Amino acid sequence: MNKTVERLKCGMITENPTFVQMLGMCPTMAVTTSAINGVGMGLTTTVILVLSNMMISMLRKVIPDKVRIPAYIVVIASFVTIVQFLLEGFVPSLYDSLGIYIPLIVVNCIILGRAESFASKNSIWLSMFDGIGMGLGFTIGLTSIGIFRELLGNGTIFNFRIMPESYEPLTILILAPGAFFVLAFLIAAQNKVRIHKAKKAGASVTVCEREEGCAGCPNTFCGGKAFTEESVKREKDAAKEA
Amino acid sequence: MSSESIRNTISLLVITLIAGLLLGTVYEVTKEPIAKEQQKAKEEAYKAVFAEADSFEEMELDENVLADITDKQGLDATVEEIMTVLDKSGNPAGYVLTVTDHEGYGGDVQFAMGVKTDGTVNGISFLSLSETAGLGMKANEDTFKKQFAGRNVEKFSYTKNGSASDEEIDALSGATITTNAVVNGVNAGLYYVKNMK
Amino acid sequence: MNLFLIAIGAALVNNVVLSQFLGLCPFIGVSKKVDTAAGMGGAVIFVITIASAVTSLIYTFILEKLNITYLQTIVFILVIAGLVQFVEMFLKKVLPPLYSALGVYLPLITTNCAVLGVALINVQKSYDFITSVINGFGTAVGFTVAIVIMAGIREKIEYNDVPESFKGTPIVLITAGLMAMAFFGFSGLIK
Repeated sequence: MNKTVERLKCGMITENPTFVQMLGMCPTMAVTTSAINGVGMGLTTTVILVLSNMMISMLRKVIPDKVRIPAYIVVIASFVTIVQFLLEGFVPSLYDSLGIYIPLIVVNCIILGRAESFASKNSIWLSMFDGIGMGLGFTIGLTSIGIFRELLGNGTIFNFRIMPESYEPLTILILAPGAFFVLAFLIAAQNKVRIHKAKKAGASVTVCEREEGCAGCPNTFCGGKAFTEESVKREKDAAKEA
Repeated sequence: MSSESIRNTISLLVITLIAGLLLGTVYEVTKEPIAKEQQKAKEEAYKAVFAEADSFEEMELDENVLADITDKQGLDATVEEIMTVLDKSGNPAGYVLTVTDHEGYGGDVQFAMGVKTDGTVNGISFLSLSETAGLGMKANEDTFKKQFAGRNVEKFSYTKNGSASDEEIDALSGATITTNAVVNGVNAGLYYVKNMK
Repeated sequence: MNLFLIAIGAALVNNVVLSQFLGLCPFIGVSKKVDTAAGMGGAVIFVITIASAVTSLIYTFILEKLNITYLQTIVFILVIAGLVQFVEMFLKKVLPPLYSALGVYLPLITTNCAVLGVALINVQKSYDFITSVINGFGTAVGFTVAIVIMAGIREKIEYNDVPESFKGTPIVLITAGLMAMAFFGFSGLIK
């Protein structure tokens, strides 16, 4: 039982997909215009993540290694479509506000990443809890960013007015540029903590040029990962030699 | 082709087939409840735009008027459905319509609107709105929607300088495209009600 | 609507990266140098335009005919993955110079969410074949414009004294935010 608790804690805190791993940034920026959208997107992703983790763990001995990525994609895309029907029918307001980002959950780094790095190697039970942990971690991340943007950008939280009427909302925060700014400060704050820790430990202070965003993603299929400048250069050199 | 790649292809094919079949089944099973749910949402919206309504009676759409909306009025909008509203004693009190306007910033804008028999707009309520949060999405706030209610005009227009007459709707700041879409949609609905046989 | 307006709208007004947040990973990952950014942009234009055409045809002539439009997400993603592989092989055999220019970038675009995103938007807005291709092309040009400008700015940022905790991704995001604000100016272009 200890392992299951560990999976939950890991997903929600120590390896939080939003704040620690910086995964799935496209939906994070796109849908966090309000707290409720953050919750909606987070929970939708959680459901898909749990289902696909369980299914992939179940099929882990059946799927041949070479075609595993397309197989995972098929599994994930099926669950995404099913969840999409259900949302369209039963939560139409959420379906409208998330729009195109629902089918795009298929290419969310987190889901394929967990399939590849966890579900394909672990039991159904553990994979399920991994999905719950990571999904809730993602939900927490999206919701808190959503709360922040909605509060300053619209003066409300979950549509309840918090700021006094006289507060002139910083609408820019819920528009596209605001998403970039909020995320920038979030990562900067994280860097600050890291630098602080490094200083305390007495180590030389270098901002580790960590591969953030998708580049740090465990999902090898994701564009950003393989796609660092170095890999391009390497391949170009190799092509020249050949 | 080696036996391994044949095995790979087959297993991928099988997974895809099963997934496809599963999806088909789920689609068939959920189709009805989803349609019902959407119907319910629509009815609630109709009630919201016509509180006095007791029951609704379906009407046939007049294709000629629909064509006029796009051709003569130049509005990129369609009336999807119209129903007669009956009050408690069974007399017609007005109409409720589902209107879709295709000029929204984030795609189609769909709403229900209620019109009294004398042509007064009773209210509008959005069924589908996917505009920019913080700008166009404000169309769904009462301050904007209420502007249409209780006004009996030939045609609405929008202004950025404060509404001076019944015809004029205050535009949402920074979201004239959304305002335009909603105003045009309402105009299309009004035109339909006034010109149908 | 005028095809030209659709292209402009897709490229500038609703810029795929700066206002829809699609294709963010390569936008941040490959924007250090102008020439690699341009290469990536070229590959994206190539793939998105072809993918828009193919998915539009598949949707109209297969999915709609058979009444299985609910399979669109799953079909599109597989088609895009297969298409990229095919384009790569095709270029390698038939047009080696183009392959040497774009080849490295191709396999990496498969799950770029912009490709799937454009295919889905085309369906959502019920664009016909020509409009879909134009919309895809416009979107991809918008991506290229954004990533090349970003690379140009980043080459200059190198020489600036950025606060320690803002080095790396944060300053790139701030730049992207400022670009997004600048791109708001284009929204007056249409209507």
